[in-house]
Amino acid sequence: MADLLHTLSAAELGRRLSAGLLTSRTLCEALIARYHLLNKKVGAFTHLDERDVLTQADASDARRKAGQGRGPLEGIPVAIKDNIAVKGQPLTCSSQMLASLVSPYDAHVTERLRAAGAILYGRLNMDEFAMGSSTENSAIQKTFNPWDLACIPGGSSGGSAAALAAGLVPLALGSDTGGSIRQPASHCGIVGLKPTYGLISRFGLVAFASSLDQIGPMARCIEDCELLLSALASADARDMTCFAVADRALTPAGDAKKLRIGIPKGFLGKGVGAEVATAVTAAIDFYRSQGCAISEVELPSADLAVPTYYVVATAEASSNLGRYDGVRYGHRSASAGTPVEMMTNSRSEGFGAEVKRRILLGTFVLSAGYADAYYMRALRARSKIRAEYLAALATVDVLLTPTVPTPAFKVGEKASDPLQLYLEDIFTIPANLAGLPAISVPCGKSGHLPVGFHLVGAPLSEAKLLAAGRLFESAHGFAHQQAAL
Amino acid sequence: MAEGFDIDHLAKLARLNLTAAEKVLYSSQLTQILGHFQALAKADLPETIDLARVVSESALRSDEPGPVLGAEAVTRIAPASRDGQISVPRVVDDEA
Repeated sequence: MADLLHTLSAAELGRRLSAGLLTSRTLCEALIARYHLLNKKVGAFTHLDERDVLTQADASDARRKAGQGRGPLEGIPVAIKDNIAVKGQPLTCSSQMLASLVSPYDAHVTERLRAAGAILYGRLNMDEFAMGSSTENSAIQKTFNPWDLACIPGGSSGGSAAALAAGLVPLALGSDTGGSIRQPASHCGIVGLKPTYGLISRFGLVAFASSLDQIGPMARCIEDCELLLSALASADARDMTCFAVADRALTPAGDAKKLRIGIPKGFLGKGVGAEVATAVTAAIDFYRSQGCAISEVELPSADLAVPTYYVVATAEASSNLGRYDGVRYGHRSASAGTPVEMMTNSRSEGFGAEVKRRILLGTFVLSAGYADAYYMRALRARSKIRAEYLAALATVDVLLTPTVPTPAFKVGEKASDPLQLYLEDIFTIPANLAGLPAISVPCGKSGHLPVGFHLVGAPLSEAKLLAAGRLFESAHGFAHQQAAL
Repeated sequence: MAEGFDIDHLAKLARLNLTAAEKVLYSSQLTQILGHFQALAKADLPETIDLARVVSESALRSDEPGPVLGAEAVTRIAPASRDGQISVPRVVDDEA
């Protein structure tokens, strides 16, 4: 049985653990063996402490044996993006700046996973400080798309998506600032959900753009995604934007066949590839056939989303990353005669090219003489985009588009053109700007590469997104899909 | 909106040393990206900024002290420390 465990969902693994048909140690040993077989090829994990994993697994098995199991995640491995703190494990953000940092504390979501009995299973590669859409900006290693190792897995949570698609782990955490959960989920054929801003605590998530960042679940099926989301969502006084709203977000949504689905006018004109358009149109036709009301909606300011995002996100990043000055933690330059030299040399040596580019851009849009023209106008545009989305979502339950205009591209293909990479996120960015929940659900292939569709809902409508995804998933064969490696 | 920027001034504000090649590269890329941002300059935008929270709950909580990292944990991750404190290059010179 051990050689098939990587194909099972987290929910099914949980059922077998509960029934005494499986131990967490057996499961973890099988996954560790698969890690040795495949991780060099895929590059999803940057760190795995096998002894610690097996110690956790034994403790879980002992709890279960003593009748003290902690719920459906007891004994289930969850891999964690390397910008979420786990006490005693590396916290590098895939950056040279934090290459030697070991986290002295747990993130809130880590505490939640420990309390749920989950196994904290390794660190996942990412674009440096979550800045990127291909995971090529990692200073540690490249990650490759398990469906085609010549292609990128998406980003910035590319390690999380690739690990799931390769069957290296049943569940993973990602973070999403402009699409960093949903875009790699689409490229790797898995499910990824960005929650409503405020549903999950950001305490222990290394800050990139604080008004946009959210942690979220990534899995190979809707049931697993919901399982992980339920464990993560809870109030936390250490994040002043996080509230006790989990019950509202996760209350069962009713009959998904009665959902009203809005299709933004003209979305197929936004550089959407032919096979992506075909797969997403087929998904719309499916929902129509199930009785859902399909209607076209107007989002007149949608074209402002990408420039608005890159002004707001880089402005916040330039401020947040000001903390990396070589003083308290992270890289300190060996050539540092004065405090200013220490800061400047440490930052110059520690940050990679994309991070520097975004810091420079963010510094510019906040600088004297330009802040009104860029940053303040972007905040006004953000308000307009948010108002338009909320107005649209007052008339329909969800908005449906592709998650990404085109399937995964070749490694290196867009590396020298940052603007082209920024346009990868054209469909995912508005949900971050408006703080709305959104999910990517696998819906087909373009050639041999996965394609996903994207649903955005009103604040705290996660249950509706999951119900819509479940309706589609139950009628199609894309759940649990893994690449043949 | 601005037509250009001073890459040396930006680098100084951002506390980054840039090589000559990096200055050329970033200047070119930032010009291209800022060109894309021109859509914001032309857009008809509201005068006010909506700062409302997505989830409208009170952000106020009682001001109670909680656990913090101890000096040992903090200095363990610091690049340099001495006698339980983080050390840095001399800030004030002798003649100041």
